Amino acid sequence: MRTTTRVVVPIILVVAVSLFVEGHNLPGGGFIAGVLTTTAFVVVYVAFGLDFLERGVLGREVEPGKTPSRDRVVAAYRRLFAVGLALAVGSGLVPLVLGYPFLSQSYVVLEGIPIYHHLEVASALAFDFGVYCVVVGGLLTILSVVGAE
Amino acid sequence: MSPELSIVLLAVVLPFAAAGATPLLFRALGERTGYVGAAVAAACFGLLATQYGSEGAVELSWIPSLEVALRFYVDGWALLFALLASGIGTLIFAYSAAYMHGESSLSRYYAALLAFMGSILGVALAADLIAIFLFWELTSLCSFVLIGYHTDDEESAYAARMAMFVTVGGGLFLLVGFLLLSLAAGDAVGPAAAFDLAAMLEEPDAVATALRDRGLFVPALGLIAVGAAAKSAQVPLHFWLPNAMAAPTPVSAFLHSATMVKVGVYLVGRVRPLFAGPEWLVLFATLGLATMTVCAILAVASTDIKELLAYSTASHLGLMIAGFGFTSVLGAETGVFHLLNHALFKAALFLVAGIVAHETGTRRLAELSGLRRDLPVTALVAAVVGLSMAGIPPFSGFYSKELLFEAAVEAGHTYDIGALEWLYPAVAVFGSVFTVLYSLRFLALFVGERPTALGDVHRPAVLLVLPPAVLAALTAVVSVDPELAVRAIVQSGVDATAVETHEMHVSLPTELSPAVAMSAVTIGLGLLAYPFYDRLHRGIRAVLAAVPPIGANWWYDATVAALAGGGARLGDRVHNGLLRTYATWTLAATSLLALSGFAATGTPLPLEVGLEAPIAVALVLVVAVVAGLAVVTAPSHVAGVLTLSILGFMIAIFYILASAPDLALTQLVVETLVLVIFLLVIEEIPRYYEVDLGRVVRDAALSTLVGATAFVTVLVTTDARPDGTTAIARYYAEQAVPEGGGTNIVNVILVDFRGFDTLGELVVVATAAVSIITLIVMRPDRTNTADDATDSAETRGETE
Repeated sequence: MRTTTRVVVPIILVVAVSLFVEGHNLPGGGFIAGVLTTTAFVVVYVAFGLDFLERGVLGREVEPGKTPSRDRVVAAYRRLFAVGLALAVGSGLVPLVLGYPFLSQSYVVLEGIPIYHHLEVASALAFDFGVYCVVVGGLLTILSVVGAE
Repeated sequence: MSPELSIVLLAVVLPFAAAGATPLLFRALGERTGYVGAAVAAACFGLLATQYGSEGAVELSWIPSLEVALRFYVDGWALLFALLASGIGTLIFAYSAAYMHGESSLSRYYAALLAFMGSILGVALAADLIAIFLFWELTSLCSFVLIGYHTDDEESAYAARMAMFVTVGGGLFLLVGFLLLSLAAGDAVGPAAAFDLAAMLEEPDAVATALRDRGLFVPALGLIAVGAAAKSAQVPLHFWLPNAMAAPTPVSAFLHSATMVKVGVYLVGRVRPLFAGPEWLVLFATLGLATMTVCAILAVASTDIKELLAYSTASHLGLMIAGFGFTSVLGAETGVFHLLNHALFKAALFLVAGIVAHETGTRRLAELSGLRRDLPVTALVAAVVGLSMAGIPPFSGFYSKELLFEAAVEAGHTYDIGALEWLYPAVAVFGSVFTVLYSLRFLALFVGERPTALGDVHRPAVLLVLPPAVLAALTAVVSVDPELAVRAIVQSGVDATAVETHEMHVSLPTELSPAVAMSAVTIGLGLLAYPFYDRLHRGIRAVLAAVPPIGANWWYDATVAALAGGGARLGDRVHNGLLRTYATWTLAATSLLALSGFAATGTPLPLEVGLEAPIAVALVLVVAVVAGLAVVTAPSHVAGVLTLSILGFMIAIFYILASAPDLALTQLVVETLVLVIFLLVIEEIPRYYEVDLGRVVRDAALSTLVGATAFVTVLVTTDARPDGTTAIARYYAEQAVPEGGGTNIVNVILVDFRGFDTLGELVVVATAAVSIITLIVMRPDRTNTADDATDSAETRGETE
């Protein structure tokens, strides 16, 4: 189980990132990428337990039995969805400053970039990243709080 | 001369700004903040005084799309009220600085008092119905904070809640009345001025006709009357005012005698030109005279000096309401002139009561007398304002009461009101006798023998005596030369509230008229009955004690207890803490609403349903149905959850077959997550529990209902879809690349075309996460895990 996890989790994360990036043109997008990323974390939780992220990955000392909401990881998730929400709203406010209606989007096509040759940067990406952050942060908060019970 | 917007606006905004700055000021100045308050009030007074003589409306655009603007209307009536509020406010702040010496939380006290003054100026000057309502409710709110100043005192808290309940509740009636009024005004003066009271007052007859045409005249009048009566403590809503005396005395003097309680009277005067007619006469004259008499009798029954003054205030408010109720110009003269007189003498009387309580340590009437030697200046002040309250000539109260008697006598001349024609003057005299009685009783504090039980009485500070002395001096000026007051401000107030214009004159009577005879009878009877005051006092108290339901307090307590008890019982039923109850109600209500929505709009149910489907789709759907059936018969929770996920995955496959890859991806991943969460919480659920037959039937019926709703909804909506692609679908397909720069239409719609919806969904996800944290982490005990966890799964389900 743990061996499989070690192999599968990076693959899931890479898939999630690719889904996010190409979401504008192919199936995918911020929401689905967020849910997929959460799934990767769930696999980690199921395989290694709730404290693994802090102890194993971040190398912090964890006192067992601590209230889950005080965990730094949960606090980080909470921050993540707060940041995501701020990002989404903020990206909507930018056009307002430029004189367009709230949440209008645009895109820029960049030519001549190595490897890709042709890259399109849509301003919607910022909004989509906000979506991604909210989904990952929100779901992981729920999951780790419920899981700790 | 038309008013200056900047000056009027500044006068209203300044107290609010000062209120906001009060915590900082208090840190720097301590108890001297009271002087800053006095300076602010004096500044407002000065600003408004520069507008003296101006008339007209000025406006500041506020919500242009709804035609709501911050309009101010300045005329004699508004200026009279605003100048009284800011002028008395100046004296009250100066008095507070001495009176509230050594009290705690003075920062809150001064902030609330300043905010209150701003609100009262707002009510006086606002010309927009919405703005009037907002300022109106703000005064109630400030009053709540000030009555409950002693937060740890149970009685103060009770009084504050009661005042809030009555005045804010009355405010809601007022709001509905205003809305009805604006409906009719929209017809009469045009939709752009539907909330503009100034525009309505320009054409009062057109508005009144429009109200009658729509049949809204009596409802609007009644609702506004309830609002005004609640605020101005009219019978039977008078009971909150004596209780409000739990507030510090300067607050009682300012809010509960001179200004806030007069807001109701003020509004009655304001809308008088719109509504004046037979209904108006009967409603307000009866209400006012009833209040005047009942509260005067209750004042005689009082044992506490502030209670006496409070009932007396309600009684005098009744006098003003009755004055405005009489539709003749004499009625308007009564209301406006008495508003001025009463503000001057009653505020002074409260401040005198404050001095007495402050210096002797008691407010009980029975323990106080013969104070003239200890408090000579205060006694002199009390004599002037007390005799004015009694209506003894030549003091100011006499003139306005004389006007009331004249108006009462003339009431029957304008409209045919039957026996009321005789009843009104009789009741006015009867009530006034009690006014003479309790005024004399108050003055008895200062005459007679000094009781030995009364301890050492120290001299009050100059700052305590000065404000009531100023008010008494003003009362004396009005008493000596009432024409001066009339020329200065009362005449313009009368012009604003009266239907026809009339030059007003008041003076001491030189010949016998019905009104003079009524005054003589009143004063004579009062003096004759005074020796029997104690017997009357005990008699009224005995009646009140014997029959509690005639006291309005009793009704308030009973109503509040019934509401609280009923609310608790309803809460227990609806809010029993079991998730299944909430789920049942929510699902059943949603389904029934959806179905009745279809039924109400008469949506045709398609009867011919094509059943052709590709073999692959059919196969997937059959597996899903089988899985659905298997969930119900699953032997354990784990098996049930796993079977349920088969159903979910089949739907994902169906999406793939129906060429919706985005939906399929989402469904797959979400299904996985839900499965994991279910497995996480499943061990917390009891392995097996007995379910009685009734609940099985209920669950089955509910499931059938929800299923049927979903089925019907899908059927109806897919049937209603026009053949081929719609304009919206074509637009999205065509514009996705040029506008959004993406070929994945679903994603472009999500983040670009319908970005606002997505933002809303993000808020839902974040709210769900926050509520999970609240539910689980902040829960007091850890026994309801199963409910909470299932709840979380459900919330998640909604966010998809």
